[in-house]
Amino acid sequence: MDKKIPEFKANFAEEEQGKWGLVVDQDLCTGCNACVVACSMENNVSFVGEDDAAYGRAMHWIRIERLWEGEYPEVKKTPYQPTMCQQCGDAPCEPVCPVFAAVHSEAQDLNAQVYNRCVGTRYCANNCPYQVRVFNWRDWERPTPLENQLNPDVTVRQRGVMEKCTFCIQRIRKAEDTAKSENREFQDGDMQTACQQACPANAIIFGRLDDPESQVSKMSKQDRGTELLPELGISPRVTYLEVRK
Amino acid sequence: MAVQAESKQSSHAGDHSKLDPKDHLLLDPKPRGEMNAMVMEAMQTTHWRFWVAVAVLGGIVAYCLVYMWIYMIQEGLGVAGVNRPVYWGVFLVNTVFWIGISHAGTFVSALLRVFKAEYRRPFTRAAELMTSFGLIQAGISILMHMGRVWRFYWMVPYPNERMLWPNFRSPLMWDLLAITTYLLASTMYLFLPLIPDLAMARDRSTGWRKKLYRVLALGFRGTEKEWSHLHHALNIFAFAILPVMFSVHTIVSWDFAVATRPGWNSTIFGPYFVIGALHSGIAAVSMVLIVVRATMKNMKYFIRKEHFNALGVLMLIVSMGWAYFFFNDFMVQWYGGDKWTHFLLHWHEAGPIGWMWFLMLIFNIAVPWLTLWNKKWRSSPLVLFVVGLLINVGMYFERYIIVPVSLGINRNPFSWGEYKPGVEIYLTIGTFALFILLYMIASKLIPLVPVWEVQEGQLAHSVRKIGKAELPAVTDLE
Amino acid sequence: MTEKLKILALFEDIDPAAHSMDALHDLGIGHEEVEVITGSPIKPEMMGRHHPHSKVPLFAFVGSVGGLFIGILLAFVTPRLYPLNVGGKGLSPGAPSIVVIFEMIMLFMLISTFLGVIFESMFPDYTKKEYHPEISDGHIAVLIDIEPDQQSALEDAMKNAGAKTVRVAERQQI
Repeated sequence: MDKKIPEFKANFAEEEQGKWGLVVDQDLCTGCNACVVACSMENNVSFVGEDDAAYGRAMHWIRIERLWEGEYPEVKKTPYQPTMCQQCGDAPCEPVCPVFAAVHSEAQDLNAQVYNRCVGTRYCANNCPYQVRVFNWRDWERPTPLENQLNPDVTVRQRGVMEKCTFCIQRIRKAEDTAKSENREFQDGDMQTACQQACPANAIIFGRLDDPESQVSKMSKQDRGTELLPELGISPRVTYLEVRK
Repeated sequence: MAVQAESKQSSHAGDHSKLDPKDHLLLDPKPRGEMNAMVMEAMQTTHWRFWVAVAVLGGIVAYCLVYMWIYMIQEGLGVAGVNRPVYWGVFLVNTVFWIGISHAGTFVSALLRVFKAEYRRPFTRAAELMTSFGLIQAGISILMHMGRVWRFYWMVPYPNERMLWPNFRSPLMWDLLAITTYLLASTMYLFLPLIPDLAMARDRSTGWRKKLYRVLALGFRGTEKEWSHLHHALNIFAFAILPVMFSVHTIVSWDFAVATRPGWNSTIFGPYFVIGALHSGIAAVSMVLIVVRATMKNMKYFIRKEHFNALGVLMLIVSMGWAYFFFNDFMVQWYGGDKWTHFLLHWHEAGPIGWMWFLMLIFNIAVPWLTLWNKKWRSSPLVLFVVGLLINVGMYFERYIIVPVSLGINRNPFSWGEYKPGVEIYLTIGTFALFILLYMIASKLIPLVPVWEVQEGQLAHSVRKIGKAELPAVTDLE
Repeated sequence: MTEKLKILALFEDIDPAAHSMDALHDLGIGHEEVEVITGSPIKPEMMGRHHPHSKVPLFAFVGSVGGLFIGILLAFVTPRLYPLNVGGKGLSPGAPSIVVIFEMIMLFMLISTFLGVIFESMFPDYTKKEYHPEISDGHIAVLIDIEPDQQSALEDAMKNAGAKTVRVAERQQI
């Protein structure tokens, strides 16, 4: 799928639904954080230690936002919100990077972060309305034998480089290659993102938004579905299904 | 060249009709040779205290700037105070602050030249030096804040095999172009009027100084053609560097204004920042001039109370302009802003750094408005120095509130946070020390007062008698 | 074919120097054979001379045109060499392009103006030239090209006009 670069910003089609998308069912999410752990394992995310984490430097690409309604012990709802990069169609993080390290992948319609191009100005992180970008403030250690756990499909990032959720692009590429070699299109079930794979409640669904038969396509069109910060008009590819009444 | 001043014969009339030449440099001419000697003496004599100051500043620069920066490069930005969500901290504050200081020089040497404000003549170079050195500090500060500063050259547009040019849709690239333009332009604008003074220094020095000035003066003699070329170039520079000056700080303000953050996405940031730059800049020029006048020989002849009076008036007017833009920004955000902006404004006033917000308003508005209306006060170097210092502190607070404090609030309450500076404190002290050090060294290497411009001004000024009054008259020598 | 002689007359003030121009005119010496050197700029009209033409504004204009081309190159050509989609913005949006082009116009105009002064004045020139160090002390030097037989008449005329010193100009290392 080749997305043309628009000639004018106003020409950008907001209704384009995108290629890859996620649906997060907040009714099912228990806030267990398994997705956070799985994502960190899959993507070689660094562990920053207690002090840095307390100072807002945790490196998690997905975080569970604890939200609740009512006062303890009469808590009525706990709509936990797993928040990861929304892979916006019109991402505000992209145009501000001076060196083209945050670009829109035309083949995958995803927001790509090019680690070896990033010079660390951090404008992209300032401009992300969801604050999902994380920066390598240091070279955190992986004492032996933790380096054996690293995923060989994913780069290990240096200090001074920005990173964020990629919808497990390495798994997407593998699955697409497999599908291509079998002369077919990608279909539901060919791959799962790490967060989807780990979720015990099946609260995260991933797939092709441009395939009307895919599960994610159908679920994102449900009445319960909303986007985060829809008033910004940046076309996030993640749909959140609200907690049922 | 002596000015043919009218002789003051009317001594009997009444003393208020007489002009006191001690008040006005341009009505109190000295022979050029004597002024040259005064400037050369100011440049060449050094007190032992000068060397002590240079040593101390050098030590501070070596430790706070060089050593700490190397440490930060090795360890990563984790040793600074930036985090999520405050990705930009004191380094950006310093960048904006130093660019603001640098606008002072251009204001004095270009804007006052264009408006033919004759009182600028003795201190254009002292102000213009602040521009060049301030921009160096701004450049250093912006390099410091980069995560992988050793790859900064990827932001420079140069042809390469991968056809990968920088992204000109990014405000940071506009920053790079604007600041580079401004730095080169103001350095050239510093050097061009310096050439005749370097020729004067060449004629009056010996030893290594003579060699240095002979090389730098490029063989200038003062022929009609040379003056004509210089005159045209200075006019072009003065007129052209003004849009550059306005564009530089506007573009720097767009780093914030085009972002999607509450409190940043304000259309008034362009002129607000330019006025803010002039506010801190003119205050800084006053401070530097007061120090130069107190510590260098013969400067009391060149820089007089009339200059402080003029700068004080400018500071008052610019302070009113700043208050106007600040209020504009506040009113619009407070009245029609979304809930995030409202919370941000509340955070400014009542958050943990609320004290800074109040002090900012006191230092930027109350202090100048309560003191600078009085001619006697603003002509006093001590009062002007204190007012200037408080204004600079207030403007530093303003930028601190705009960058790290405002970044603490965003549209994702789960990601709200606070900022605590780390090594930025050392590095900030380092940039201030480097600025002062460069200035002190420059004051002993080049003549600080453009004597030819002062002489030109003294030629243009005379005393004219209208009725019983003696009044200064200015001839237009353009 | 007698060699021309260069005489240097040093005046302390504008008025005597200006009056000496009349004396030169009486001696039949034209404006092209006279050069006036001063330590601070005086309008050539004060000496009854024409303002010399300067090509520096032309340099400025050419520089700004050059800057325009470079700005267009950066804003319109470079994004198309390796087109990348960033945030749904076009490859060369109007507003950022204006910023880039404006800055490049100003940069090259000012660099060109500076180089114009350097080239037009033929800087740097460290060869031996006619000069007197008192010029930078505010004196006005009048350099006159004459035939050797006019020398004594000229010296008298200059002294009468009020010259501080009159002598044969030597090329010296300045």
